[in-house]
Amino acid sequence: MAEPTNPALTAPSPAAIPASEPQTQSLPIRDSKPAKPVAKDAAPTDGAGDADKALTPAELKKKAKAEKAARRAREKVEKEQVGGPAGGAAPGAGGAGRGGAPATPKKDAGAGAAQKGGKAAPPRRGSGPVGAGAPAEQKQKKDDKKVAVFGHLYGQQRRTTVAGAGKEVHPAVLALGLQLRDYVVCGSSARCVATLLAFKRVVESYTTPLGTSLARHLTTHLSHQITYLSTCRPLSITQGNAIRALKLAIAGIDPSTPESSAKATLCDFIDSFIREKITVAGQVIADSAAQKVQDGDVIVTFAGSNVVKETLLLAHNQGKRFRVSIIDSRPLFEGKSLARALAKAGLDVQYTLVHATTHAIKDATKVFLGAHAMTSNGGLYSRVGTALVAMSAKERASGVEIPVIVCCETVKFTDRVALDSIVVNEIADADELVSSLPPQQLTGLPDPGANSPAPIDNKKGGKPTSAAPTPETSAASSSTSPLANWKDTPNLQLLNIMYDVTPAEYVDMVVTEMGSLPPSAVPIVHRMSTNL
Amino acid sequence: MASTTESAAAASAKPFDIVATYNELLRSDPDLTMPIAAIEALVLLLTQSASSTISETLDLLEKSTAHLKKSIPNPIGLSAGTDLFQRYLITTLQRPGQLGPAGDFKAIRTHLLSNGRLFIRRAKESRYKIADFGRGFIRDGSTILTNGGSRAVSALLQKAADEEGGPSAVRFRVIYVLSSTATTSGDSSEEPEGMETVRALREKGVPVSTIPESAVAYSLGKADMVIVGAEGVVENGGIVSRMGTYQIGLLAKAIGKPFYVVAESHKFVRLYPLGQYDLPIEQRVLDFKSEEDIAESTQQSSETTTNEERPIELPLSASVDFTPPHLISALITDSGVLTPSAVSEELIKIWF
Repeated sequence: MAEPTNPALTAPSPAAIPASEPQTQSLPIRDSKPAKPVAKDAAPTDGAGDADKALTPAELKKKAKAEKAARRAREKVEKEQVGGPAGGAAPGAGGAGRGGAPATPKKDAGAGAAQKGGKAAPPRRGSGPVGAGAPAEQKQKKDDKKVAVFGHLYGQQRRTTVAGAGKEVHPAVLALGLQLRDYVVCGSSARCVATLLAFKRVVESYTTPLGTSLARHLTTHLSHQITYLSTCRPLSITQGNAIRALKLAIAGIDPSTPESSAKATLCDFIDSFIREKITVAGQVIADSAAQKVQDGDVIVTFAGSNVVKETLLLAHNQGKRFRVSIIDSRPLFEGKSLARALAKAGLDVQYTLVHATTHAIKDATKVFLGAHAMTSNGGLYSRVGTALVAMSAKERASGVEIPVIVCCETVKFTDRVALDSIVVNEIADADELVSSLPPQQLTGLPDPGANSPAPIDNKKGGKPTSAAPTPETSAASSSTSPLANWKDTPNLQLLNIMYDVTPAEYVDMVVTEMGSLPPSAVPIVHRMSTNL
Repeated sequence: MASTTESAAAASAKPFDIVATYNELLRSDPDLTMPIAAIEALVLLLTQSASSTISETLDLLEKSTAHLKKSIPNPIGLSAGTDLFQRYLITTLQRPGQLGPAGDFKAIRTHLLSNGRLFIRRAKESRYKIADFGRGFIRDGSTILTNGGSRAVSALLQKAADEEGGPSAVRFRVIYVLSSTATTSGDSSEEPEGMETVRALREKGVPVSTIPESAVAYSLGKADMVIVGAEGVVENGGIVSRMGTYQIGLLAKAIGKPFYVVAESHKFVRLYPLGQYDLPIEQRVLDFKSEEDIAESTQQSSETTTNEERPIELPLSASVDFTPPHLISALITDSGVLTPSAVSEELIKIWF
């Protein structure tokens, strides 16, 4: 399945074509590029001759192939004409290349050969500003800013303002929505608690309209709030579970109950849900997970989990002597606050970013991880990078096997199944990856990181996969970030994915408030905790 | 073991000594497993004690359990029994009705005692139930590799052997791994664990070959499956068993032979070890010494012979290891044949 991604990276225009054709045929046609004038001539005649005859499948296939080759050739010619004078040399040079090495299936072979022979500027570089086809290409590029594999996750743009929110949305929910969007309230437990508290205020200020009952109307009233929240940031599993429990509680209210007492019941329900499922659960988990910390341990953790923090602080307060190594990642840097909190408590903390994982894992004895959710097949759905840490800990080749312990409240369990990180995930704004301040420079020379891709680009003969800005732009933007105007850079896509799935076999133990479990027991406990 | 009993007996001034009772029970009945002996000891304790309220009973139970666990060098197997009994008591007392908290305490007591006995009888029978479940695993012409002195394995093999000559004649061979630690400990009069089973099987006409632990990898090619017993089955589906089981499991995995565990469901322990060194017991298998240390220790032991009242570590012959769940193909228990991951489900069912 390299086909759909490859064209997306190399040339935008033919990307749509293979999708409509059978996959098997697209490859041979690549090779038959030099033969395209012939095919172009042959295709119409063939089609006319066969039109009245009944075609065998093989003939049909051949015909489709020929037609496709013709179309491809036409497009190629058009594009190269647009590209400038070098375009004329390309078919001939391509033919020579084919004679020398017929096995090269890459499109680049033609372009590379053209450049070598014709000594022309890279066609792509020139094609942008000049030529009549420019607007069409520009439009296509706009679409390409979405990474194809994750295309289904983009959905609508996140809300940037409270303007346009429905009048039903409570002010507390309005504020919460923006806090969620800006990661002020971040982490699945915190989001769940904040949502429930906001909903408590919604319930408190709610009055049942005439002619309807609380049990019927409050649910729809809440769904307005929920819809608003989900436009600010997709709802977390915990939020979903809490909302489901709350709706169930609303539906369970006897319609004859007076409104004030019904509202009091619901507020009590919310309070006890937060207490039982999150606050006390966190304490119980910290208590039992801290027992697994022993003197002399080196504990690796990823990003910032509140339960892990509680666990480590508790173990420290119990007088255990151990070291903590925090692995963090851009762009949220959740590990920073964890590192600060642990260091303040007197723990020995080492802080690295995710690229130093193997280094940090080397002297680790245990890995403690937080969770966004646990899926029913035992997968750990957590901040992106978690899988990398868990898998490096389990890698036997390094000669050590380090237990991976997940601290997770049962409210984070879901009956969903996650086989990979692609089907279900969340994509955040890609600009978050860009907006980081460059390191302070003392030398005054231009940032080497900003300039280096350009020479490589030239050396490789304008290989279109490399995502370098033109020399002029890089010089101009070296003071900010090389990626600052990534949206105008052709063929460059940024992906800011939020979560990944760690398969169950990389997790040794899940510590929950109902005891320690193997990941395979997640569905059983989920069933039990939702039935209670 | 004998010294443990004496020290414990000396230490406790109670009229009823739970530790002594426990050890006595184990010694008197070779068919008794550790968890069952613990439950029986607790039932005896309740019959002897004159507690008259529920909280008094529970308190007594808790104290004696803690005392028992502390006085036994390896309380893993035992704790499965005491936990189960305590859990059973609490659920019985919480149940509404005549036997609930509102009921007559005398009735509750007699009910508990009679049910405790029933439980013990059922637990003993479970071994035969396991043999019924596991019989299908032993096929005609197969060769089975086993180790240790598990009574459940012995019952299973003998059950399969008994059928020879019957309508479903199962002809099988056994490779019995005999522990070498018992013989090297200097006590030459004691035969290695499992010899009894070997004799019984040979009597029944089953060809048995005994091999030392060092020959496991060599012999495993001739075996079709590995069946072992367990001292405790832990929450993640792994087992705590006699030292040497782990390496057999690793070898079986490497060679690709199925590795089955035979264990009664009352051996399920609420314990979650993460590795070999995460067991809640003190065992000194690895003892690094230089020539100097040896000289020093011999000198010390000759000097102070009186200082013998220290907590006894597990001797090497009684030490255990942990076989992680990914090495185990299936667990043959009296509640059916389970995959390792189903163990936690069973445990959750018992506890919640």
